[in-house]
Amino acid sequence: MTPQSRRVLEVVLDNLVWFMLLAVLAIFSATIPNYFQPGIFANIIEQSTVLGVMSIGLALVIIAGHMDLSVESVAALSAMAASMVFASSGIGMGVELTPGWLVVPASLALSLAVGAAVGLLNGYLVVKIKMNAFIVTLSSFIWVRGLVVALSGGRSAQNLADELRWLAIQRFLGLPLTAYIAIACFVGFSFMMAKTRYGRHLLMIGGNEAAAFRAGIKVDKVLMIAFLLSGMVAALAGWLLAIRTSGATANLGTGMLFNAFAAVVIGGISLKGGVGALPGVYAGVLLLSAINTAINLMGLPAHFTQVIHGLLVLAAVLLDTLKQSIRKKLA
Amino acid sequence: MKYMLQWGMVLLAGAAGMVNPAYSQEKGTVYYMVPTLLDEFQTGSVSALEMFLEQVGYEMTTLNADNKTDLQQSQMNDVITLAPKAIILAAVDFNALAPSVEAARAAGIPVIEFDRQISSTMSDFTSVAGTVEIGYVAAEQVERLLTEKNGAVKGKVLQVLGDPGDPYTLDIQMGFEEKMAAFPDVIIISQPAMMWEASNAGTIVSDQLLANPDIDIVFSHAAHLSVAAVASLESAGKQPGDVYVMSSNGAPVALQMIRDGWMQVEVEQPLYAQAAAVAMFMDKIVAKQPIEPGEYDVLGLKSVVTNEEWGPTIKIPGAAITADNVGDAAFWGNLQPPTEAVTPVP
Repeated sequence: MTPQSRRVLEVVLDNLVWFMLLAVLAIFSATIPNYFQPGIFANIIEQSTVLGVMSIGLALVIIAGHMDLSVESVAALSAMAASMVFASSGIGMGVELTPGWLVVPASLALSLAVGAAVGLLNGYLVVKIKMNAFIVTLSSFIWVRGLVVALSGGRSAQNLADELRWLAIQRFLGLPLTAYIAIACFVGFSFMMAKTRYGRHLLMIGGNEAAAFRAGIKVDKVLMIAFLLSGMVAALAGWLLAIRTSGATANLGTGMLFNAFAAVVIGGISLKGGVGALPGVYAGVLLLSAINTAINLMGLPAHFTQVIHGLLVLAAVLLDTLKQSIRKKLA
Repeated sequence: MKYMLQWGMVLLAGAAGMVNPAYSQEKGTVYYMVPTLLDEFQTGSVSALEMFLEQVGYEMTTLNADNKTDLQQSQMNDVITLAPKAIILAAVDFNALAPSVEAARAAGIPVIEFDRQISSTMSDFTSVAGTVEIGYVAAEQVERLLTEKNGAVKGKVLQVLGDPGDPYTLDIQMGFEEKMAAFPDVIIISQPAMMWEASNAGTIVSDQLLANPDIDIVFSHAAHLSVAAVASLESAGKQPGDVYVMSSNGAPVALQMIRDGWMQVEVEQPLYAQAAAVAMFMDKIVAKQPIEPGEYDVLGLKSVVTNEEWGPTIKIPGAAITADNVGDAAFWGNLQPPTEAVTPVP
């Protein structure tokens, strides 16, 4: 293999998930009626908003060599907290602020505070008490969802203030403003991972925690921040979810954890830690949304959609595995 | 110290007395096996059953199966060992729970099916609105709405189901499509909102609005799915009434959407009446006395008891809620429980 073709192959492998996304979009556009239109592509980006943001937090912790299973429940709790305070129907208290736009930062602050609290608790138990992250965050996944049900009594809070709904309704270049928030998050966190000392430390800790410690990196502090960020980013996802659905129900976000995991893995993040970049995760999220949209448009019998969804995700992960084996051969 | 302990014991006894008032225990404990608490109808059923059963002298304990069939089976096994006066079962899976029903009845514990009918085995009483019948009522309303909108029963309906693993939604779909089969000019597009999750419903509506911009009606199988559907309509620049919206179960949020003009019809499940009927017949069920077929007045609703293959069954008609009758206090979504206490059927 010539150095030039090797370089081309490496570029393809580094960005395989983006090529997969393009291939999938091309195939669906050619074969599914009504798929090829700007509105559908805008929908795919819009649908990726919540899952995308949630996946960022999950990816940070996985890159650090740990796990955060609580992101879905944290998103639900933050959505419910913001909706209970600022929604006007159901169990919503309908709190109004003057001027009205203050509801945006106030609800966001409330949601982020909820996420920070759970993230810090997870981080403390994992980093300071040295408990297993899988067990700690699995427990949080359960108790936080339980708290959503307990707080809401199983009821919903609906009709968020117009100032919040504006973020979901107002469009710029065909996309709602919430989609830009998600894109900004990916850009910001990608920059953090690639260009800051904290990002590099996170990768090093995920690759070899003991070596990172010996190299003088404050492992505990970096990990605590990772769990804190994961909780807050999940809370941001919940806030966006509440805005998208104009409120919250007790089962809001159910099932998103597994999609977030699929997106992270498809995006090239190693579950062993220390490997991966966030742009790939965004491509993974877009890929899953593209598949979901295709299923929605194909008009398949309801019973088969989960089978097809699972198989398509499996195909995407198989391709990613193929990529890893080619990369090993190249090395 | 001794004085403090004595007072502590007195306070503890007083607190225990407040938690379990004597009048609600006079006839014993009944267990309610609720399929999930992530649904406003189910949450409402817990408080309604508790209230009506207390009025006729029973205490109720609720166990939540979290939509898991195996968990509900285990709960049934556990409850059978406690020998309660009766078990009220809203089955996660209509067929999978049949052996548990048989085991309870074999142990001498009467079993009452609430909201979700089990027809594959005998039960002591069944109180339902009928999930298939909800589909029928929805079909009648679609017929009316399409005629109103298009001048004839023709057009496109997007049917947003709940989780395809839940027989409840499949029964509604069956009833709805059975009736709609008479109208070949109506195209029905059916999509499941996995796990009954609202944002999944929103995504379906967003996608289908682009693929089928001429959708006339969005019919969701639960009110909370309609909330997300309406949010997607609003994001797509639609105004109330551009696309008709309807759903089933009668939750408070649906009634609010009718008042706001976004929703045209909500097919109500008569939650209060279904729960009241259980309380009205509980003494007879516990005493294993026969329940006479015929017409009964349940909270003002004419309801019919029939002897079916699976046992005595009361069917309480569901109602279509529209802008004209949305204020009716009888609808459970208005959250105004009946003030009049139910009395046992003699």
